[in-house]
Amino acid sequence: MTSPAIATFDLTKNYGSTRALIGLDLQVGEGEVLGCLGPNGAGKTTLIRLLLGLLIPTRGRAEIFGSDVQRDTVASHQRLAYVPGEANLWPSLSVAETLRLLGQVYGDVDLKYQSKLIERFDLDVNKRVRALSRGNRQKVILVAALMTRADLLILDEPTSGLDPLMERAFRLCVHEAKDRGQSVLLSSHILSEVEALCDRIAILREGSLVEIGTMTEMRHLSAVSVDMTFERDVPDLAGVDGVSSLEVQGHTVRCLVRGPMEPLLSAIANCGVRELLSREPSLEELFLAHYGSTASDASDHDDE
Amino acid sequence: MWGVVFGLYVAIQALTYATSYKTLASRHLLVQEFGRNVGISALVGPAIRIGTVPGFTAWKCLTVLAIIGAVWAILTSTKLTRGEEDAGRWELLLIGGVTRKSAAQQAMLGLMAGATVLFVLTAVITAAVGHSSEVRIDAGGAVFFALAVTSGVFMFLAIGSFCGEIATSRRQGAGVASALLGTSYALRMVADSGTGLAWLRWATPLGWVEELRPLTRPQPWALVPIAASVILFSLATFVVAGRRDLGAGTLSDRSSIGTIRRLPMTPFGLAIYTSRTTLIAWAVSIVAYGLLLGSIAKSGGKIITSSQSLRQVFVRLGVSGAEAYLGVALLIMAVALSFVAINQVSAAEREESSGQLENLLVRPYSRYTWMVERISLGASVLALGGVLAGVATWIGAASDGAHVDLATLVDAGINVAVPALVLFGAGILALAVIPRFVSTVTYALLAWFSLIEIVGGAVNLNHWILDLSAFHQMAASPASPVNWTANVAMIIVAMAAASLGVVIFQRRDLKGE
Repeated sequence: MTSPAIATFDLTKNYGSTRALIGLDLQVGEGEVLGCLGPNGAGKTTLIRLLLGLLIPTRGRAEIFGSDVQRDTVASHQRLAYVPGEANLWPSLSVAETLRLLGQVYGDVDLKYQSKLIERFDLDVNKRVRALSRGNRQKVILVAALMTRADLLILDEPTSGLDPLMERAFRLCVHEAKDRGQSVLLSSHILSEVEALCDRIAILREGSLVEIGTMTEMRHLSAVSVDMTFERDVPDLAGVDGVSSLEVQGHTVRCLVRGPMEPLLSAIANCGVRELLSREPSLEELFLAHYGSTASDASDHDDE
Repeated sequence: MWGVVFGLYVAIQALTYATSYKTLASRHLLVQEFGRNVGISALVGPAIRIGTVPGFTAWKCLTVLAIIGAVWAILTSTKLTRGEEDAGRWELLLIGGVTRKSAAQQAMLGLMAGATVLFVLTAVITAAVGHSSEVRIDAGGAVFFALAVTSGVFMFLAIGSFCGEIATSRRQGAGVASALLGTSYALRMVADSGTGLAWLRWATPLGWVEELRPLTRPQPWALVPIAASVILFSLATFVVAGRRDLGAGTLSDRSSIGTIRRLPMTPFGLAIYTSRTTLIAWAVSIVAYGLLLGSIAKSGGKIITSSQSLRQVFVRLGVSGAEAYLGVALLIMAVALSFVAINQVSAAEREESSGQLENLLVRPYSRYTWMVERISLGASVLALGGVLAGVATWIGAASDGAHVDLATLVDAGINVAVPALVLFGAGILALAVIPRFVSTVTYALLAWFSLIEIVGGAVNLNHWILDLSAFHQMAASPASPVNWTANVAMIIVAMAAASLGVVIFQRRDLKGE
């Protein structure tokens, strides 16, 4: 098969006057893991729902392995599995029944892998869905998607509600899928998750594709947020290599640092640093630093 | 708004009567026809002094409005309490320092305040109409009458709230409360069917309402059990509310299943499985009402045909008394099946809006297949319901020795399912075009059909308006032969609406959470 796993052509979706997705041209190759980053309301979920044929595009079209998602919806679904950010399952069914139902609708399920997944995610299959916590429901929908071994996995913020241990189990599954040559579209607003799993990253903002490239090409995006408190007056850090987004408030400073820490560290040496905290910046902070504005005023359709 | 509806209904009945039965002689005839008619009295309650405007008004309005009010009360109370909780909005309130118990108390207070407004509006409108020289209902009578008419609302608000508290979901709560209402109606029906079981009336909420006998021979002491039940159910509601966990219920709902049940795990099997409780409940009600109607058909028919003029009409048509009675009484089945139709459409709508349908549609399962399966399920349920109604009525009638053909009654049963099918088709179309308003549209249509059927005959409406009601198109079988031409036309309309729905549904955005 030479068709790409995902191909969109001028894909556009408007909700009334709100433009949720604007003329998107995107390709995900076979065996590729593409991360889709963007703040809430950037159009990630709209894109995914269009790819699944759940929404009707205002303009343009999309293909999954060469099948048009509107005209040959069923054919395109035969080769993909999808994990939504929130699992809306049937409360009265047990976990086992849910998996059986969803497996039957898909058609072909790797039962051996299914049992492995159930064990890995520590699921009690005899429990009714009603009695499960949000995280456990998310695990059910994850297992239901992964057990198909579909050629394309579409994951929409799949780790919401999972604890760190389960997040690790999830990452292991994505690596396995990659090793088997499955393609993955992973939407997320957690930079480190995308960094750890993806070959390429696409950045959406206010419905448009802002940038797309490999992780190395996106190096400029990875930065560290540093908070410092000084005993004396704050030194002037504006000209220091790699430092940006300076915010000074009394004796405290917050800034982003790209590349090596060394220049900053030498600049603050002997300036009476009382406290220094560094952490991964939120996507909002990165976007603010890189693109000048957040997308918080964009459509809210991603949250629907 | 409901206060106005109640008031207008009363006004229409009173004025219609006053204008259509002007002479004493015509009223005398009416008394003869309906006064001792066991069948009619089983349906809507015994007719006391219907030779007077107030008596007729009370008779025509009391049971009908009490039932409508009770249904409204159940839906509202379970929605306001349990529905809000299911939606997670109670959680926000409870975090804000409100206890579960006081939340339940405030909700009840709000509901009762609403019911009081309903009562006041009904009283005012009744008193205003009563002022007319033709009607003549004094103010005191109007107030007591309004109290009687709305007492069902008060009782079932309390009962609905209680059921909402003990159930695990709004649907279950509404189901339990509706079952109580159904039982109450059935018991009252037995009490009023002249079987010597009149005391049973005192064992049922709807019976108490009847025993108030407003505008005729008022019995205020029947307010005692009514008030007692309101207080008791309210207190029980508060106690349960204070003791249980948020989201939990007292009714059984096991969280774990030992072995995998042998269910047909397909989307179609799932649709049947998730609606099984509702379907069984409806089937039981339809059979119960069928048996009841059938078993009182003979006596009901005897009284209809005891009127000279009517008997001649029916003899000419070759219709027995029991058949004549059932022709009118089976309209109840048409309404019941319409509710089943609405229920089927709402179930489909809920599957979409809850996001559950999405789980199927992201797999190799098309919207077309889902719609067609849903439509086949709904249509089969309605057809089976019709047959069931016919067979149950026949068994009831045969047990009482009434001479009615099984085939005739099965035909009549299918006949009453046809308007429900029209409603179902319209509902499917609404689901495709305006999914958020499916319930509004379908209930409005049912109300429209019923209203035209109730008011239409009396007020000489334009035949075009009458023709728009599916109930009006339906022949009163078995009193008159089934009108297959009209039925086929209605089925075509239903199929056209449903097909259009399927086409549109495939071309719109899927709704989800």
